[in-house]
Amino acid sequence: MEDLIKKIESFGVLEFKRPKERRIFIRIKSEFLRDLISFLIKEYDLRHLSTITGIDLGEEIELLYHFAYKHSIEITIGIKVPKSSLKVPTITDLIPGAIFYEKEVHDMLGVVFEGHPDLSPLILPENWPEGVHPLRKDYSIEKLKELIKK
Amino acid sequence: MRYGTTIKVPFGPQHPALKEPEYFLFEVEGDFVVNVKPRIGYVHRGLEKAFENNTYMHGLYLAERICGICSHAHTVAFTQAVEGLVSLEIPQRAQYIRLIMAELERLHSHSLWVGIVAHEAGFDTMFMYLWRDREMIMDLMEEISGNRVLHAINTIGGVRRDINDEQANKIRKYLDKFEENIKNYIKILETENTFLKRTVGVGILKPSDAIALCAVGPTLRASGIKNDVRKDDPYLVYDEIPFEVITHDGCDVFARTIVRCEEMLESIKIIRYALDHMPKGELKVKAPRTFPPNESIGRVEAPRGELIHYTKSNGTSKPERYKVRSPTLGNLASVCKTLIGAHIADIPIILAGIDPCFSCMDRILIKKRS
Repeated sequence: MEDLIKKIESFGVLEFKRPKERRIFIRIKSEFLRDLISFLIKEYDLRHLSTITGIDLGEEIELLYHFAYKHSIEITIGIKVPKSSLKVPTITDLIPGAIFYEKEVHDMLGVVFEGHPDLSPLILPENWPEGVHPLRKDYSIEKLKELIKK
Repeated sequence: MRYGTTIKVPFGPQHPALKEPEYFLFEVEGDFVVNVKPRIGYVHRGLEKAFENNTYMHGLYLAERICGICSHAHTVAFTQAVEGLVSLEIPQRAQYIRLIMAELERLHSHSLWVGIVAHEAGFDTMFMYLWRDREMIMDLMEEISGNRVLHAINTIGGVRRDINDEQANKIRKYLDKFEENIKNYIKILETENTFLKRTVGVGILKPSDAIALCAVGPTLRASGIKNDVRKDDPYLVYDEIPFEVITHDGCDVFARTIVRCEEMLESIKIIRYALDHMPKGELKVKAPRTFPPNESIGRVEAPRGELIHYTKSNGTSKPERYKVRSPTLGNLASVCKTLIGAHIADIPIILAGIDPCFSCMDRILIKKRS
């Protein structure tokens, strides 16, 4: 793991930090996501995806892919996607376990995972209004409550 | 193809296997499941949004309420994540107390689950024995924290209550009895024909599938993969305490049962060791009310497997984002895989086999009836 930063330099790394033992955060340019994950799977046998976190940053959505290397070192890979074109390639073909995590982010933040086998709602009700994503910052709890009353 | 046509059978939201609502749409051909589509979200309480609107101190109590069974595991993950934002070191004694509570919780959760599996397999006597013995653990947790559930023993920077010598002796005494009983039950479960017929070879999860679908906890370990956050990514004082990671090669519901039973015996050893080696000292350190911009991950081995909390702070007393991924969501993909090819009659026991906790899994949305 010590030489990880050198090996992944070519994948558009924007930030690399190691706040404490067994925690690594890597921010990369979004177009390198699949390449980096494929590389890590091949070189480091990185197979366990703990979860995907989506964060609303205002103009962009940040996606954090939390991987566990040998179930021990938590490697977080972060990309940013502009809200004007919220499309990210799926990683379900590389990591089949990502299927429900991608669906969850799709429901809650409206990110479209291109190539995902089934992006039908997992969490939100069938009659949920289209385009309303509860974890976006522009939907406050009050606003969501109003919406549900209707 | 055996029948040529398939029929769609809905299971839930009011559930045949468990007491919590979740919906599964099964496509069956004759008596066999050929496809399954889960639909979760029936017990969403908007918790992730609520975290963003409350202070960290409030968040601690919200985290406690994510799950009624593994509430302590959630607060351990919460405190780990939040203390990690400012690299706050908590006193040794507090770490030991958190650990003892976490292992007691594992005992109660596993005995509850093994009881449920016995019940699903039609072995109700075992269910009653286990749930009777579980009461001993519940009494111990009440003795220590004042509550049977929602123990509220963790706080940011340490713990709120101490364990005195009298309580420690009571724990030792109860655990002796509990251990003797569990050993007995393992013998019975391993030899009782009715139980074996309902569980051996049922709900097979191959090791390769378990890895590919990112299964966690006892489900993964029952497919022969040695993985435990307590060992691999030690938190609290787990690196100071000797214990074994239990695995089983059966890959079926029986293996999941035995893994959990033997894990209970390990937990008992861990608690005994912790009680004997717990240092004297402070219970908590002063924690800040506001946190500078940073991000941090809390990762613990809850009774059901890897539990991960992520938090991002923004310099105020409220988090910018708080994310929870409970072990049941981690196991959802693998249980769906396991169900394909199963008999309809085995659906409840396979679903119960991952020890699902739907309240944990659903948490983000504001409930429709709120």
